[in-house]
Amino acid sequence: MKAVGARVPRYDGIAHATGRTVFVDDVRIPGTLWVKAFRSPVHNAMMTNLDTSKAEAMKGVHVITSESVPLLEYGHLSALGIPADEPLLAKDEVRYLGQPIAVVAAPSEEAAMAAVAAITADFEEQPALFDVRKAFDADAPVIHDKGNWYTHFEDEMDRRQIRKGNIEEAFDRADLIVQGVYRPAAIEHAPIETQVCQVVPEANGRLTIYSCTQALYFSMGVVAAHLQLPLNKLKVVGGTVGGGFGGKVDTATETMCALLAQKSGKPVKWRWTREEEFLCSSTRAPWHMEVADAVTKDGWILGRKMLTLHDAGAYSRFSPYGLTKHSFHHTGAYSIPNLEFNGYVVYTNRTPTTAMRGFGVTSVSFATETHMSRIALELGIDPFELRLKNANRIGDTSPNQIPYTDPSTVPTILAIADAVGHDLTPEYAGMTPAPRSGDLLPEHLVGQLGNPEAH
Amino acid sequence: MNLTVNGVDTTIESGPLTSLLDVLREELGITSAKAGCEQGGCGACTVLVNGASRRSCLTPVASIDGAAVTTVEGLGSPEHMSPVQQAFTHHYAAQCGFCTSGMMMAAQAYIEGGGSDDHEAIQEALGGHVCRCTGYVKIIDAVAAVARGESFDLSVTAAGTAMTNIGGMA
Repeated sequence: MKAVGARVPRYDGIAHATGRTVFVDDVRIPGTLWVKAFRSPVHNAMMTNLDTSKAEAMKGVHVITSESVPLLEYGHLSALGIPADEPLLAKDEVRYLGQPIAVVAAPSEEAAMAAVAAITADFEEQPALFDVRKAFDADAPVIHDKGNWYTHFEDEMDRRQIRKGNIEEAFDRADLIVQGVYRPAAIEHAPIETQVCQVVPEANGRLTIYSCTQALYFSMGVVAAHLQLPLNKLKVVGGTVGGGFGGKVDTATETMCALLAQKSGKPVKWRWTREEEFLCSSTRAPWHMEVADAVTKDGWILGRKMLTLHDAGAYSRFSPYGLTKHSFHHTGAYSIPNLEFNGYVVYTNRTPTTAMRGFGVTSVSFATETHMSRIALELGIDPFELRLKNANRIGDTSPNQIPYTDPSTVPTILAIADAVGHDLTPEYAGMTPAPRSGDLLPEHLVGQLGNPEAH
Repeated sequence: MNLTVNGVDTTIESGPLTSLLDVLREELGITSAKAGCEQGGCGACTVLVNGASRRSCLTPVASIDGAAVTTVEGLGSPEHMSPVQQAFTHHYAAQCGFCTSGMMMAAQAYIEGGGSDDHEAIQEALGGHVCRCTGYVKIIDAVAAVARGESFDLSVTAAGTAMTNIGGMA
């Protein structure tokens, strides 16, 4: 315990303060080619007649398209056995504005821009889908051949579902049903360092990849899979990230730069413009959450029905993982014994969405906490006391029936009440996370108890 | 064209409309100024031109021919950090570090201009600088500490003895 309570300098603090930190864009490799992308100008279209010949005829210009990729489709979760749905470069079909179609490397930034401007393709535009609520309609635009939502949860289920207790009985017994719909918007991570990558082909045949990735080994695996190379052909240099917040978990640039370095035999660098960062990089997902709670007049929550539509954008990437975390947290920090949760990862023609600070959980926390306050308002109960009454305690179980061994809900809410000067009755002010008993163990919560010792 | 960069007289070969940012980074290899947006919106490329803070990404080099340019490399070294550099280190004002150079140059101009430790005045001085990590509190605390003339002990302390002077906690 040498560090707890000590004043410990940041290992990179002095380097940051003296301008010595070497971010990816600060790596100096002579003879580096600039990289730029030819991107989809529309949200949803069939693409034909992609013509890169004029660009390829330019002096010192190298071009890659879907034809150049040894394994075109490889998903970020493929290593877990989840089928891929996203091509590295669009082939025949584009599904979001800004989707990369061809990528060029050229001796200067200006030459790279000129090469991109010389690339042409025909786009037969189709209606685009932006509202997850319309994805299930019979006349909705079709995003993927297999449908508008992800279908590869366990046993090839098309949704993440949780069932606990007896939901119908809970709703039959309720004094009141409290409903709410919550729709947090997409958020761009907006790191000050845009997506950037430098790849150097080494004399020994390896590729050295300088990457701003937040997930170095993920990126290494993704590059190796697309290029069909063993991992020992890749040396990935990372760890210096100019802000990520989840947005640098996807492998945005590394694979395409590696292909261009292979093709040209020269070092290449791709630094996204701020415009690309806003238009083409992944965002936090927008979510659509519907909550209906069966509650009693004295403030017990007997059951919760919840529907979540997780907007994945055009491709699933990490969204199934995010929705799974979301589902495990859909009761918030409270014990609700009867549950029916259905969540869908829905495709739209938005930019693909990804992790951001508390992936999948911040959205559901927003919904559940707002909903707690709504219940308190409808019942005329103190919102702190409603939360303390239903708070997770030792021996309570999570939606997926994991017993809590050290839940922090009670001390957290007491600390908040103290910080804002909210007076509680002695009964609540003295509450602890101890196992339920007496008035705090009503009949409807008995059945959900687990054994924390067994966990 | 000529510039005095961090005290060194330098002949510039780049074209006259090349941004000062590209001259520093690509011609001279001085990389502390960052390309965050290249449109004057984020502040990460800020340097001092004749003592005033300037967005180097929006400054054609011909427009400042003959000027003195200062970057973070010109403030101090790891062995001899300037007060602003010491304060940013002491107050944990740099998190990812990408906005830090521009932020420090704006702070340097503010301090050289006789700025006070008034938080609103510091916020105004740093208003054009975007930081996505820190929430700004520690940065403002660092600048205020320099304005008050505080000195900084950057050594490691024993557990439990020195958490009282960390930015934002007072």
